[in-house]
Amino acid sequence: MFYLKVLEITSLYTILVLGVYLMTGLTGLFSLGQGAFVSIGAYTAAIAYMRFGVPFPLALALAVLMGALLGFLVGIPTLRLRRDYFLLVTFGLSEMVRAGLLYLAQLTGGALGMAGMPRKVGLPLILGSIVVITFITYSLKRSRFGRDCIAIRDDELAASMVGINVYAHKMKVFIISSAITAYGGALYAFSILFIEPNIFNWLESAKLIIITFVGGLNSIAGVIAASVIYYSFGEFFRFIDVWRDVLLAVVVVLVIIFRPGGLFQGLSLLPSKLKAMRSGR
Amino acid sequence: MNWNILLQQIVNGISLGGVYALMAVGFGLIFNVLKFSNFSHGGVVTLTAYIGFFLSRYLVANFIITFLLTAVAGGLAAVVIERLVFRPIRRKGYPISMLIVNSITVAMLVQQFFAVTLGADYYTYPNFIKETALHLGNLTVSKIYLLMLGISAAVLGALTYVIQKTKIGIAIRAVSSDISTPSLMGVNVDFVISVAFFFSGVLGGITGYLLGMTFSVDPFIGSMILKGIIASIIGGMGSILGGVIAGLLLGAAESLLIGEIGAALTPMVIYGSIILLLLVRPQGIAGKITEVKA
Amino acid sequence: MEILKVEGISKHFGGVVAVEGFSMVQRDNQISGIIGPNGAGKTTVFNLITGATPVDRGRVLFMEQEITRFPAHRRADLGIARTFQNIRLFGNLTVLDNMKVAHDMKVRYTLWEEMLRLPRVRRQEKAIDEKARHFLAYLGLDSYADQKPQNLPYGIQRRLELARTLMTEPRIVLLDEPAAGLNPQEVRDLMATIRKIQEENALTIVIVEHHMELIMNICSLIHVLDFGKKIAEGEPEAIKKNEQVLQAYLGEEV
Repeated sequence: MFYLKVLEITSLYTILVLGVYLMTGLTGLFSLGQGAFVSIGAYTAAIAYMRFGVPFPLALALAVLMGALLGFLVGIPTLRLRRDYFLLVTFGLSEMVRAGLLYLAQLTGGALGMAGMPRKVGLPLILGSIVVITFITYSLKRSRFGRDCIAIRDDELAASMVGINVYAHKMKVFIISSAITAYGGALYAFSILFIEPNIFNWLESAKLIIITFVGGLNSIAGVIAASVIYYSFGEFFRFIDVWRDVLLAVVVVLVIIFRPGGLFQGLSLLPSKLKAMRSGR
Repeated sequence: MNWNILLQQIVNGISLGGVYALMAVGFGLIFNVLKFSNFSHGGVVTLTAYIGFFLSRYLVANFIITFLLTAVAGGLAAVVIERLVFRPIRRKGYPISMLIVNSITVAMLVQQFFAVTLGADYYTYPNFIKETALHLGNLTVSKIYLLMLGISAAVLGALTYVIQKTKIGIAIRAVSSDISTPSLMGVNVDFVISVAFFFSGVLGGITGYLLGMTFSVDPFIGSMILKGIIASIIGGMGSILGGVIAGLLLGAAESLLIGEIGAALTPMVIYGSIILLLLVRPQGIAGKITEVKA
Repeated sequence: MEILKVEGISKHFGGVVAVEGFSMVQRDNQISGIIGPNGAGKTTVFNLITGATPVDRGRVLFMEQEITRFPAHRRADLGIARTFQNIRLFGNLTVLDNMKVAHDMKVRYTLWEEMLRLPRVRRQEKAIDEKARHFLAYLGLDSYADQKPQNLPYGIQRRLELARTLMTEPRIVLLDEPAAGLNPQEVRDLMATIRKIQEENALTIVIVEHHMELIMNICSLIHVLDFGKKIAEGEPEAIKKNEQVLQAYLGEEV
């Protein structure tokens, strides 16, 4: 029973990590504002279901749509900015959403948060979601989308010179990322059953970025592995939990210095023999 | 419109703005020299806020001594961070994103470390000043705030002098405009970078002390760095003067806004304005637009 | 037919004049050169033509269409390709992927199809793969397909940049100092390669170079820049004897 709970929490966070992977791992966009999308997703689904009686699947879909919409709106002005500014603006976004949630207290319950959501989300849905999201991420990475992401990360100028519309591509990445993150937030609301404006602060967003780097920028499997290890670790070893973040920080610094491709950089979703067979060589 | 209240709010805000300016400059120094956003500066601020507290409670309750010691501690901490965390990345020629990630990690490390060890309690600095407020005409100015403003001004003035007139200041400016050429002229670039970090750390230490003195010390005090980063961006990344002006403006604006529309809406207005500003004038008040070399 | 026409383009950076009133016409099946002392503005001209930098004044026309305000990626799609003075390959992509990326703008599947990995996607990916390998083999690079660019010898990287331009289905190719850092034998190979590419693909090529042997040997028309302004234009023989050109070069510190 306990193990199931751990698996649940770990998987939820892994969805969020996957959301960040496309954006930060592949494309090099650093966002400290993932909390905004988690909150938007969680609150949209919760409010739709609890206050407006929207059926659950629809509430989920709404959450995803809101996430994508917010991503689009935020992306328009900010994706042209240089990386440092984008990082700051996304941090600010997080704060703005938090402030907004506190302000609209009649709708959101303000600082007290919202509770009483029924447990609509269980392990099967979460795990199923991970499989689907991983599939989508993997497909994107293998084809034009993924190549363009990496090209943009490596050299934006050269990317535009070979015909890539950098701004449009970043927008696509950001919207997909935001949608996935909002989805994770919605799942969170209906499995943890309590949400409040502070559920996901800059620190949590930073951890998502860090785990992506530890897991390996070019390896989806690596990122999933890193996420699973980190989030389950804390649950299993309570005495370590308190020091978990300190440990993580030290590990990250070491990994970046000595193994910048990521701890699990060679890890591949498909075993390499299978890969070779597919390309017909 | 009660002008008195408004003026009061502005005066309060400017004092805090002085600290924002300190942070902006500390942040901007590193941005100039290594071209990346150094989030570990927030970690230095948190660390020194605690150091200042422990020094003044357990060593000697003297403002000047503990203040200076903390400032130096900040400088040393920054140098250590540079050596351990940033230099290896620089040496190996990794992309800047790695520097950013590591700086975020250090900030997280410091915050979580203190949250884990000392987080449970709030710590307050001993009261250095007897009578806490000064009365100027209709205004009540907190002495602490005046002190903050005065110290910020003095420190930034001193820094400007150093950057403009001393040999090491010129070296820092040289490295800021081009990181490889100065070494060809016999300048030890690594040393210059360490010095820049030391200066930045001293600013951080002063910030930490002042913040700790004014509010109380908790692990999250370093997230005030965000205000410093904002000021840095508004002022134009890399411009000391811009950072100062922007810091003061930000402090005053924030104070006014909180007074008028409340603490809940204020962040939204501020961040919204920044996004607008960045769209219209991405180089900030005094910064320069840099072209990418093709 | 006029493939490229540049009319009086200018670019200032702060107080510095990079390019002033530069004009040129490039026709079909031509190899031209742009030469000039260091800092004359040659690379800036390329940046203005490709859209990496917007012009302050002047017009750029491509295939008789005005592209002055077009963003860089759109110009690439129209058929303007370039290489860079400092090699700009994508370090985290394999050689093969570097090639594929340059063709991505022509791809015809949508994002949704991509996410679901529909057969249409797989078919097009296969076609791109074949095309990329074809051009790698065309320039003798096929054995490097799965390696990362930074592990390759400098001359090979240069050739890869050339091969990459072919993947964009260009009408005009701009080469920015393609001979920089090559030894004499490699330069001769480069000249042969440029000629081969031009003839077999019916391309028109503009080269910015310092290497006189290369320019004089393969260019039919040469433009000379000094301090951002054009000071001469003509056939190699005429340029070699041009007073002003010699002055400009002799005036430069060796």
